[in-house]
Amino acid sequence: MPSGTAPETTDILSPVRHRAEVVSNRQVATDTWWLELGSPEIADRAEWGQFVMIGFGLDHLAPPFLPRPFSVGWRCEDGRIGLLVRAFGAGSRRLAALRAGERVLLLGPLGRPFRLEPGVRVACVAGGVGLAPFLFLAGDARCQGFDVDLLYGELTADKVFDVGLIEELTGRPPIVWTEDGSLGRRGRVTDGLSTDGPVTVLACGPMPMLQALAGRAAREGLDLQVSVEEHMGCGVGTCQGCVVQGADGRWRKVCTQGAVFYASELKWPPS
Amino acid sequence: MAPQLRQSLFGVEFQAPVLLASGTCGYGREYAGLIPLDELGGLVTKAVSVTPRSGNPPHRVAETPGGMINAIGLENVGLEAFASEKLPWLRDNLARAHVFVNVVGRSVEEYAAVVSGLDGEEGFLGYEINVSCPNVEGGTMFGTDEAALAELVGRLRRVTERPVIVKLTPNVPDIGIYARICEENGADGLSTINTFPGMLIDIHRRKPVIGNVTGGISGPAILPMGVYLTWRAAISCSVPVIGIGGIRCGEDALQYILAGAHLVQVGTASFVDPAAAATVQEEISSHLVEAGVGSLSELVGGLRLPEHAPV
Repeated sequence: MPSGTAPETTDILSPVRHRAEVVSNRQVATDTWWLELGSPEIADRAEWGQFVMIGFGLDHLAPPFLPRPFSVGWRCEDGRIGLLVRAFGAGSRRLAALRAGERVLLLGPLGRPFRLEPGVRVACVAGGVGLAPFLFLAGDARCQGFDVDLLYGELTADKVFDVGLIEELTGRPPIVWTEDGSLGRRGRVTDGLSTDGPVTVLACGPMPMLQALAGRAAREGLDLQVSVEEHMGCGVGTCQGCVVQGADGRWRKVCTQGAVFYASELKWPPS
Repeated sequence: MAPQLRQSLFGVEFQAPVLLASGTCGYGREYAGLIPLDELGGLVTKAVSVTPRSGNPPHRVAETPGGMINAIGLENVGLEAFASEKLPWLRDNLARAHVFVNVVGRSVEEYAAVVSGLDGEEGFLGYEINVSCPNVEGGTMFGTDEAALAELVGRLRRVTERPVIVKLTPNVPDIGIYARICEENGADGLSTINTFPGMLIDIHRRKPVIGNVTGGISGPAILPMGVYLTWRAAISCSVPVIGIGGIRCGEDALQYILAGAHLVQVGTASFVDPAAAATVQEEISSHLVEAGVGSLSELVGGLRLPEHAPV
């Protein structure tokens, strides 16, 4: 597995900036919305695990004033992309309230994507809205012949994204875990990860979940890629605002050196 | 006829009055292909120090009402890597936009080492001396101490013949005093202003949001303070002033220009929309047409004050 500093995506490609129209926005779980935007350029170019910055532009001073990063959750040949929005604060509440026909400012696709070697067995581990990149990846990768398991955990049943829609987007229902057992299997989604035989594990979710997986990856020699989140300013590497600590102690920019990292590239607290 | 945006400043011609502010445009290349860099007035690089700096722990940025707080901590590649890896791109890709290298140091010697280390290189016009970073220990030391500022500017003046611009902090009782010190010691111009010190608290965790505890506030929220301090600086000295703080449209930029700025810098707005600086330039041009003003330079310092103005 590679370690050290990967090249930044700014050395590879330039993102697109454009005004995109909201096609639809529907609530799919408690505090959770599925937002579809018309963005042919981003739909055409996005790779698994890449993200977009979404905002309202400079006339809008209320939250979100700064654009927010969201994983590309899905893309369609007709030019739509899907984003999974969970309302945590004032900025994401405004995005959750978007209506069809409203316009947003999009910048993307951004960041380093997930990478799959040909023929590998894939286990996607999603915690909460960490589900988003795997809606895109699982369906796409299955079409390309990859064997993909999608493990999806939430705290409680009411937070679980529309399972029917997940099946529609990815071709198969996910294996759902809830911590209180109110839907699917009871416990943490990481408990469901079987590492019998070679498997590439892709994970996106809260930091404690990623830490648990990284600890296991280090012990068992797993091929683990993680998509991480951090407060972000620009999305393109100029402000150096969105850093996480690399294995060598140096900071890594989430926007251009991530958002997907090999777990071995990052520093993790002892587990 | 299209209005004249050109101005002769610092020994060269600026095709347009809008520059990208330090810390918001990386080393230029990050925005290549996304915005028409070479159609702008120019850009100011991320700060360069004599040796690389790693910067502050996260969170480094967060949204605040009408703006943002940041404490990046001057993370940068250092003088050597800047000269070998970053400057060549600027030299090879910008023909008309002018580049200022933002310079930081912990001592007069460190500032002088960066300036003398870069002075023989190609690809930039001059230096913006950062004496006003609120996010590192001693970052505003030179910007808030009259004697130290005089010594620093005087020393750099002897090290280089390139334009030396000093970026001032708003965090002083009278910015005019610092503007005059810079001019008297040989600075060619001033940038006003850097960020305001600030703090954001997460009431649920009862912790500061920013890893560095405190940070600098930028964005539209600071526009009127920036205009005021630019005006105070401009009427206190005779060197050109570059106005900075909260600019997101042509009208904002023109406030700075009427207050006495020759050029402006767009910073935080580029995060909201990378096209911000180019849009600001277009809107300045449109305003000149609407107002029947033939040349932007006619508006510089063109503020009409009432007779009882407390100047």
